[in-house]
Amino acid sequence: MKSKWLFLTIAPCDAAEPWQLGFQDATTPMMQGIIDLHHDIFFFLILILVFVSRILVCALWHFHYKKNPIPQRIVHGTAIEILRTIFPSIILMFIAIPSFALLYSMDEVVVDPAITIKAIGHQWYQTYEYSDYNSSDEQSLTFDSYTIPEDDLELGQSRLLEVDNRVPVPAKSHIRIIVTPADVPHSWDVPSLGVKCDVVPGRLNQISILVQQEEVYYGQWSEICGTNHAFTPIVVEAVPSKDYGSRVSNQLIPQTTGEASAKMKE
Amino acid sequence: MAEPAVNNTQTLAEQYYVKDEQVKTDEVAKPVEVKDVEKPKEAPSEEAVVEKTVEKTTVAPTVGEDSSEVAPPAEASTEEQRSGSVEEENSGDQDAAEETPEIKLETAPADFRFPTTNQTRHCFTRYVEYHRCVAVKGEDAPECDRFAKYYRSLCPGEWIDRWNEQRENGTFPGPL
Repeated sequence: MKSKWLFLTIAPCDAAEPWQLGFQDATTPMMQGIIDLHHDIFFFLILILVFVSRILVCALWHFHYKKNPIPQRIVHGTAIEILRTIFPSIILMFIAIPSFALLYSMDEVVVDPAITIKAIGHQWYQTYEYSDYNSSDEQSLTFDSYTIPEDDLELGQSRLLEVDNRVPVPAKSHIRIIVTPADVPHSWDVPSLGVKCDVVPGRLNQISILVQQEEVYYGQWSEICGTNHAFTPIVVEAVPSKDYGSRVSNQLIPQTTGEASAKMKE
Repeated sequence: MAEPAVNNTQTLAEQYYVKDEQVKTDEVAKPVEVKDVEKPKEAPSEEAVVEKTVEKTTVAPTVGEDSSEVAPPAEASTEEQRSGSVEEENSGDQDAAEETPEIKLETAPADFRFPTTNQTRHCFTRYVEYHRCVAVKGEDAPECDRFAKYYRSLCPGEWIDRWNEQRENGTFPGPL
């Protein structure tokens, strides 16, 4: 009985849910910032909406051939015109300042990251490279991440959101993700991490994130991809940083795709 | 008349070119090491020999003992080397890292030459830096390991393979 309702606490955390209207839960400071900014702006937005619709409805209501046979004939009013120019620009400023602050802080890489993950997009799978521990050009910790086809899904897995090899990242440490595709451009997007970065051939784009909770986060390639491209999911699994080392060395170095996917079931 | 002028411009251009590189590498924030890299170029014979001997002495203990021995000489050079010595230590552990589950969380640091989202030049520059370092210091100089780690962290494997191939063919577009 209890486990029946457990999905209420777990399911909405990271992946999209049916008929979802709000954000997915934030797990990076960046996403928290985005959500906060959204709420801040909505305060002004609703204020303006109510104010404007009140004026509009009033005007319509009172413009009536019986109640007001002779309407007001104001064509000019200096005071009101100055007011309605200055006041909205102040509101815009209140919106712009936090917005730009957030925008530029997202680009900024202030601290040295703890690990670098390279996400290399292919049509239609993702290759991840962990090369921080290499001592030569050849031996790279590389694995592919494919979508699990609909027929192979197990109970509880999300359609078109599960992959066979998840991306393990350490929680509570700064991570640099370098994205680049091998063939076509697309966009690397994980909503819970507050990340959406265009992936352009011949170019390395950097994302820096700090995952705060140990969970599994789902995302998809989006925007500029070709056919079927947008159905390629990204699954980021944040593990405690003390477990990360063993996770990487045990699970990824002796890489066998079939076994790993079985283990991924968790 | 024309000939000396041409010569002049050429040498100037060369000088300028080299200088430009120096400035660039200086900004890497490891001044001492970079100077080591540069000196042999200008005064090839004597300095290079001195360098080589110094290197030999540092290399020998590394092979014999643990890489912690490498740290003190590196640390002595500048305080910026702090990060460097850590890197070197790590590179010594690298071989062991494959067997043991212990993995040190460490990667190429944020570089203030490349503060933007676009990190293409970062990867390329690190690759060039490593190969310039190797060209001067020799194939397995421990000083260059750091750059190797950096470019391996930053560059996709495919790119490295392609660049290695280009270097073998002599068609690599960078200043090596």
